[in-house]
Amino acid sequence: MHSETPQLTVSRVFDAPRALVFRAFTDPDHLATWWGPSGNSLPRDEIEFDVRPGGFQRWTEVAAAEPDLRVNVYIDLTDVADGDLLEGVMHVSGRLQEGFEPFETRFRIEFHDEPDGRTRLEIRQWLPAHLAGPSNQGWLEAFEKLDATLLHLQAATADIEV
Amino acid sequence: MAGTDQLSVVFSALADPTRRAILDELAERDATVTELSAPLPMSMPAVSRHLKVLEHAALISRTRSGKWRASHLETAPLREAADWIDRFRRFWDSSLDRLDAHLAAVQAAEHTDTKEP
Repeated sequence: MHSETPQLTVSRVFDAPRALVFRAFTDPDHLATWWGPSGNSLPRDEIEFDVRPGGFQRWTEVAAAEPDLRVNVYIDLTDVADGDLLEGVMHVSGRLQEGFEPFETRFRIEFHDEPDGRTRLEIRQWLPAHLAGPSNQGWLEAFEKLDATLLHLQAATADIEV
Repeated sequence: MAGTDQLSVVFSALADPTRRAILDELAERDATVTELSAPLPMSMPAVSRHLKVLEHAALISRTRSGKWRASHLETAPLREAADWIDRFRRFWDSSLDRLDAHLAAVQAAEHTDTKEP
């Protein structure tokens, strides 16, 4: 568990039981079907999972549009609770899309029961340490503010003649 | 796209509330250090130090005309910083759409504990 505020949070409800949603993240055949944007494929023989606290998940992503690019994903699982929780550090390397550099990011995925047999996923993600810096307090606020600043900006640039 | 080192500088510049207030002010109009200091509870030298940090992060540029230096907001680094977060959000959005479809397909195939809508 990380006390720092995550820079990215995603919450989503799925019409499926919690055990199945958890399996979708932890079974190679499941993950290969849905992970990544449409057009991405995960070669089955390059997927290797050892899902337990201290275990790992490893796979390769190939983009159909750019088969030369090969993204290697390696996850150190720091905490796993069957059906409830996946937490770890994702290391992304390989031949990445232009503009992407290898990075690592912490994440925590919680699986919660919802009424009527549905499941709520809570994803939290922390920026790479080298980006977040030692004091990332107020980051979320910074990004909310950033959106507002950019909106102001678009209005402002229309007025400014340099 | 700048390297992550540049983004790191941008992010740490944005982490300070005073500097965000300054950027907000500059989003309205270019301003001198005197103008920027007026609404802030701090001295001009303190504001100058914040401006240096923002300039180093290329979030602002400063023009030299006579004795006054006006600060000008530069949009590119802000956009790059926001893009970094946006990428992940888009990644999750598209992946989770596919997960949703996958879960529906699996349940339909299993015909077990599948509820009729």
